[in-house]
Amino acid sequence: MKSIKKYLMLALLAGLGILPNLNAQNDLQISRVFEEKKGSVMVELTDEMLDGYDFSLFKSITINNNLPAADFIRKCLAKDEAGAKKVKQVVSNGVPTSIYLQLPRKGSLYRLILFNETYKPVQKITLIYIESKNDSEDVLKLILKKK
Amino acid sequence: MKIVIKHKTDFSKADRLIEKYYDGLTTVEEEKQIQHFLSQPDLPERFEVDKEIFGYFDHKKKKLHKSILPYFRWASVAALLAAIVFSLQIYMNTNRSNYACIDGKKIYDVHQIKSQALESLQDVSSKTNEVEDGFKNLNDHQLIEQQLDVFSGL
Repeated sequence: MKSIKKYLMLALLAGLGILPNLNAQNDLQISRVFEEKKGSVMVELTDEMLDGYDFSLFKSITINNNLPAADFIRKCLAKDEAGAKKVKQVVSNGVPTSIYLQLPRKGSLYRLILFNETYKPVQKITLIYIESKNDSEDVLKLILKKK
Repeated sequence: MKIVIKHKTDFSKADRLIEKYYDGLTTVEEEKQIQHFLSQPDLPERFEVDKEIFGYFDHKKKKLHKSILPYFRWASVAALLAAIVFSLQIYMNTNRSNYACIDGKKIYDVHQIKSQALESLQDVSSKTNEVEDGFKNLNDHQLIEQQLDVFSGL
């Protein structure tokens, strides 16, 4: 009887463990950035082939002329960086202008975050979140190849 | 029909029924009669063994009933939680769609969405390449040797 209760308890815990995985992006700070705002372009693609990329989830947001938004994203990324498997940055004048975070896998999905800020011709922020069944290194190589 | 202890003949009737029970010939009704008879207090000592046998079966039944009840309770809780998890999964999947939102205006045209997605990828890819180049430079032995050469004359 005790063992039945034990197994049922384990099943319940496993079930509850699945809940946060329903949306793997929810555990990240950058999920707060992906909101439909005026002056921004947001894209969400699910299980789509995108010019050779095979993404389970693709989310991007582009914001123009908004310095506070850039600072906010950088703060979010700094927190998400703590749990990242691999971090690559380009720092310009002491400020990270380009960040690549390779996050630990969530289930079968590889996750990565790409951030970029340019100032010419206008200040432009681009933040991308990708979930893919393919290795995030391969996804990044593919992105670079397509340049 | 109930056997009530009134006369010695009732005991003999009970004896007959118990014997019939051990031979496996009793009906359900007769077994109930035996149980009723044996559940009475102040029975002669010779019925003690039969009492124990019937008592044992009764105990077993109660124990089985006891053990199944909590199992069903736990199973129902597990089933309920599983249902919630699956409903949430379906809800999340249906809410995940393909769209672009430009200045607060939603677009569902797949070609437009994809072109917006590619544009954002191009924005990032140029700078990400700089990161890669930087890492390549770090691994460039020739560059490191050149930099070390500066100190060789010291």
